[in-house]
Amino acid sequence: MASHPLPLAGNPPVEVWTASVNGKQVQTIIKNYDVLLDVLRDGIGSLGTKRGCDMGTCGCCTVLIDGKPRLSCMTLALEAKDRQVTTVEGLSDGHHLHPIQEMFAECGGSQCGFCTPGFLVTSAALLETNPTPTRQEAMDAIEGNLCRCTGYQQIVDSIMSASKILSEGIQNKPITEPASDPDPGFGG
Amino acid sequence: MPEDKKEIVGYRQQPGKLDFTRPGSGGSSPNSEKRDPSMIPQSQGGELDQPWGPHRHDDLVTGRIIGKRTPLIDSRWKVTGQAVYGDDVRLPGEIIGRLVRSDRHYAKVLSIDMTDVESIPGVLATATGIDAPSAFGVLPVTKDEHAMALEKVRHIGDIVACVAAEDEETARLASAAVRIEYQDLEPIFDMRDGLKDSPDPIHDRDIYHIGESNVQKRVFQRFGRISDLKNSIASYENEWTFKGVNHGFTEPHAVVAHWDPRGRLTLYTPQQVPHYVHRALADVLDIPMHQINVHRTYVGGGFGGKSDPFPHEMCAAILARKSGRPVRITFDREEVFWTNRGRHPSRISMAIHADKEGRFSGIETDALIDGGGFASFGHVTTYYNGVLHTAPYEIGAFHYTGARVWTNKPASGAMRGHGAVNSRCAVEVGIDHISEELGVDPIDLRLANLLPPHSATITGFRVTSIGMRECLERVRKESGWDKKFRKMPLGKGIGVGCGFFISGSGLPIHWDPNKFPHATVHLKIDMDGGVTIHTGAADIGQGSDTVVGQAVAEVLGLPMDMIRIRSKESDTSPVDLGSYSSRVTFMNANAAVSAAMEVRSELIEAASLITGVEASCLVLGDRRIFNKKDPAVGVSYLQALHKAQEDRGALIASGSYRTPPMGKMHKGAAAGLAPAYSFSAYVAEVDVDIETGRIKVEKVWAAHDCGKALNPLSVEGQIIGSCHMGLGQVISEEMKYGRTGNLLNPDLLGYKIPTVHEMPEVVPIIVESNDPEGPFGAKEAGEGPLLPILPAVCNAVYDAIGVRTNELPLTPDRLYRSIEKACKQQGIKDPRDLPNPSLEQTPLSDILIRRAKDHAKRDRERRLNPNPDAYYNGQLFNRHDTGPPEENDPDWTVQVLPDQEYLENPKLAGSAWLHKERRHMEGVE
Ligand code: FES
Ligand code: FES
Repeated sequence: MASHPLPLAGNPPVEVWTASVNGKQVQTIIKNYDVLLDVLRDGIGSLGTKRGCDMGTCGCCTVLIDGKPRLSCMTLALEAKDRQVTTVEGLSDGHHLHPIQEMFAECGGSQCGFCTPGFLVTSAALLETNPTPTRQEAMDAIEGNLCRCTGYQQIVDSIMSASKILSEGIQNKPITEPASDPDPGFGG
Repeated sequence: MPEDKKEIVGYRQQPGKLDFTRPGSGGSSPNSEKRDPSMIPQSQGGELDQPWGPHRHDDLVTGRIIGKRTPLIDSRWKVTGQAVYGDDVRLPGEIIGRLVRSDRHYAKVLSIDMTDVESIPGVLATATGIDAPSAFGVLPVTKDEHAMALEKVRHIGDIVACVAAEDEETARLASAAVRIEYQDLEPIFDMRDGLKDSPDPIHDRDIYHIGESNVQKRVFQRFGRISDLKNSIASYENEWTFKGVNHGFTEPHAVVAHWDPRGRLTLYTPQQVPHYVHRALADVLDIPMHQINVHRTYVGGGFGGKSDPFPHEMCAAILARKSGRPVRITFDREEVFWTNRGRHPSRISMAIHADKEGRFSGIETDALIDGGGFASFGHVTTYYNGVLHTAPYEIGAFHYTGARVWTNKPASGAMRGHGAVNSRCAVEVGIDHISEELGVDPIDLRLANLLPPHSATITGFRVTSIGMRECLERVRKESGWDKKFRKMPLGKGIGVGCGFFISGSGLPIHWDPNKFPHATVHLKIDMDGGVTIHTGAADIGQGSDTVVGQAVAEVLGLPMDMIRIRSKESDTSPVDLGSYSSRVTFMNANAAVSAAMEVRSELIEAASLITGVEASCLVLGDRRIFNKKDPAVGVSYLQALHKAQEDRGALIASGSYRTPPMGKMHKGAAAGLAPAYSFSAYVAEVDVDIETGRIKVEKVWAAHDCGKALNPLSVEGQIIGSCHMGLGQVISEEMKYGRTGNLLNPDLLGYKIPTVHEMPEVVPIIVESNDPEGPFGAKEAGEGPLLPILPAVCNAVYDAIGVRTNELPLTPDRLYRSIEKACKQQGIKDPRDLPNPSLEQTPLSDILIRRAKDHAKRDRERRLNPNPDAYYNGQLFNRHDTGPPEENDPDWTVQVLPDQEYLENPKLAGSAWLHKERRHMEGVE
C-alpha cells in the first residue's frame, strides 16, 4: 500500500470539453485523463449510461460516437471532443420511443435492465446501417455486450421485431399521451 | 345557485353524475366486456383447457391478464435510461465513500493509522471496526460479519476501514493512505484442510465450536431401507469437483446512505432482501428500526448475490452519520468478486444404486462445500446439497453427509439454484450412467420412478403438483430424442437432465411462522380508480412487480395501466421477506390475490346496492360489474367504486399469505420444505471437437413445470436466462484460485460469462401443472430451470464422445485431459478412434415402459382426485401400508446423527463428525 498520501501529486491539466450529446451542445470542465463514461455520468448527468466493469468487458457503457458504438469506459473524453455522442437517453425524442426501445420492452429484451442501455445503442446503430439484419448479423452486432439475465434470445427477438417495424415504417404511439378511453364509464 | 353546482350537491343521490376528468377507467357499456373465453377456465364455463383439474382461484379469473404475455411494468423506465440503480442515486451534497480492503489472506489487525488520511484535504470522514462492533449476518443463527474487521481479516478484500471524501479521486487516495499493521496467521485455502483442527480457527463459536476445526455446519441424514442397498444390481459412484461460481450480475454493488434532517437514515441500495438489511442496520447502528427507511433502487441483477446484508451498506451509513453528508459507495468489478456470495466450490461424492426392477434403491451423497470467510446462507446450503435431491424420484434409501467449512477466501453464499445445482448434476449424471449399466433408455428409467402428485418424499417434503412426467415427455418428443440418443456420430451427442426446486422456503429466516405471514400486500384505490399496490417484494429484474400487478388486475378486471406499484421503500411497503428461495410469485401473488378479493367483494357489494342484483350473481369483467346471467345489467367499475367509497374515502385492503403447517420433526426437517416444488427436464444437443475438447452446445429443449405461467414472456425469459447461467457453469465459468490462494480472475475478462455466440438456441417449453396452493396455479420459474442444464450437457458430452467427467467447468483443456485419459485407458492413440457409446436395450426396458404407463395413469387419477390417498415415498418398493413408513416399517431408518459404525470409516465431509462440539468436550461446563 502506498505510504505517501498523494501518489498523483500535482495538478492535472484541466480543459473545457465540448461535444454534442444527444443533439445538445454541452460544455464542461474535464481533466485530460477523464474517461468519457465519467464525464457523461458525473459531468453531464447522463446516468442512463451504465458502468458494469470499467475495463471494456461488459458493454454496459456503450454509447454512439458519430453513430458508431464505442465503450465509453475505454474512451478518453478528449477523443470524443466536439463529436456527436448518443446515449440511451438520446434514442427517444421524449414523445416517441425508438422502435428498438419499444421492442426491448415488449419482447422481454430487458429484465433487470442494467445491460439494456448498452444493448439499445448498439442495436440502434446496427439498424441504422442495416435496417433488415439477419439473426446472425444481429448476434454479431451484440457480441461485445454481456447480459446475465436474458440469455440473449429475447434480445435478438427484440432486434428482429424492431427491424420489422422500421422496415415497414410503422409509427409507434407517443408515450406522453395516456391511453384514451372511448368508454369512460359513467353511463348505466 | 348555478345549475351545475346543484348536480354536485345531488351526487350522493345520483351516483356517477359527477364530471371527472377522463381517468380512463370506464367499462360502462355492456359491449366493453372483453372477456376472452379462451382465457376463462373450463370450470367457469370458459374454453381454457384444464387437464389438471380446477383451481381454487378459477372464479377470480376475469380472463384478461393472467396467462398473457405481459411486458414488465417497469420496462419503459429501463429502456429510456430513467431507471435509477444504486450508483444513479445522486443527492445534494453527496460524497464518495471508499472501502479499505485487506491485502492479507488471514491476519490479525494490530493497528490502523489514519494520520496521513486526515491530512488530505477533502477527506470528510473515516471509520474502522470499533465504530460498529455489533455482529450481523443473514441468518440469525450464524451472525459472524462486522461492518469492518474487528480484530482479524479473513480473506483478501475483507474490509478493514473506510473513508469518505468530496470526490472519488480523493477518496481513492485517502483509502490508499490508511496504514494498517498486520500480523499474518496461517491461512487455509483447500476446503479439506478446513476439516482439520487449526491453531486459529477462522471464527470462534465459543462452546458451539466444532472441535478446533473450521467446520461451520455439518449434517448427517439417513432415511429409508438402508439394508436394501445390498440388493442393488447396478451402482455408480463418482467423485465430483465443482468450482466456485459468481453471480456475474451486470450492476456492481452500490449504496447511498443519507441521514435526513430529522435524524432518520435512508439507505438506497439495490437489494434483493431489503428487510434483512433493515434489521441488520438497526443492530449495527444501534438505532430503532423505525428510524430507518430502506429504499430499494432498481436492481441490476441479483441471482442471490444481493441478498445478504452487506458490510459496505453498514459502512456507508456509518460514514454518512459521521460526515453529516449523503455517502455513496460503488464497487469496482473486482470488489464484486471479493464480496462474492456465489456458488460454493464443492467436492461431492455421489453413489446411486438401482435394483433389478430398475428402481433407485438408494442415493448416498457426501458433500463438502467451501464457505469462504463467512457463514452467509451456508447453514441452509449445507442442507440443500442433500435434501434437494430426494425428489422427483422415488428412492429406497437416502444417506447424506454434508459439511461446510470456512476458508480464507471470499464468502460463498446463495446463488440461483441455491445448494441444489451441483448435487443435482451429480445425481442426473449418475442416473445416466446407471441407465447404461441397466441397458435402458435414461428417459424411460426416469419416467418409471417418479413420485406421484400429492405425495411425501423420503424426508417428508409435501409434493403437491408435479409436472415432471409431462416435462420429460415433451422434451423427448420435441427434441426427436428417440431418433438421436446413442445414434449420433462420434462428436455429436444428446443428453437429458432433470431438476427439482423449492417454490418458496416454508420456514423463512427471521420469522416466527406461527405469528406472521410470509408476505403481505396492501391495496389502495381512490376516486381516480387506479390501484396502488404496496408490496415489499423486491423486483430484481425478474418481474415481481409485474406479477403482483397482474394478479390484482386480473381479479379486479382492470387493465394493467390502472395498476401502479410502490415496492421500493420500507416506509411505505409492508414487510416482505425478499426475493430469495423463489418465493415471490408464489407468496406475494397469493397475498395480492387475497387483498384483491377483499376489494372485489366490496365492489360487488356496492354494485349490488346500485343494481339491486344479488351479490352472488355479480361478476367482474372489463372495468364493469354485471349480472352473470344477464350481462347487460351492471354498473361500471367507477360507479361501484364511488358507491363503495361513500362515507369512507379510499378503499384499503390488506392480504397476506402463510404456508400451511408441513413437514416432519427430525432435526433439519425444515430445510427444503416448501409449499410447492417446481420440476424441469432439459435435453441438450452438443457438438464436441474431440481433438481439442471444445464443446459447442447447439440446441436445448427446456421444459419447466411452473404450475401456471402467469406471464409466459417472463417465464420464457427466466428459462432462457437460467440456461445461460447454468451453461456458464458447465462450459466456462469458474473462480480460479492460484496455489497461494489468490483469486486469479476477479474481472469479467478472466471470468468467462457466455456471450451471445456461446448461447445455444433454447426452446422453452412451459408445462402447467396447476398447483393447488399457488396463485392461479403458479409455482416458481426463476431458479429451478437452471438445474437441468448442467447434467444435460454433461450427459450429452458422454453421448458424443463416451467420456465421463467429474469436474466442472468443462473447459477445453479439462475435457481434453479426460479424453486423453480415456484414450490411454483403452489403449487408443487417436481420440477420433474412441468408441461411440451405444445402447443395447435389455428386457428391463419393457418392464420400465410398462411401469411408466401404469404410473402415468395413476398420476392422472391422483391429480384429478380432490382427496387422493396418502402416498409416501417407498410404496414403489412393494410396501403396502399407506401410513408414514417410519411408523409402519420396522426396517425404516430415520437417523440424523452418525453412529459409531459410520464414524469408524467416514467419508470426506462426514469426517466433520469426528470432532466434538466444545461444549461436549471434557472439562467444559
Ligand atoms: S463498463 Fe465499459 S465495458 Fe464494462
Ligand atoms: S437484463 Fe439484466 S443483465 Fe441484461
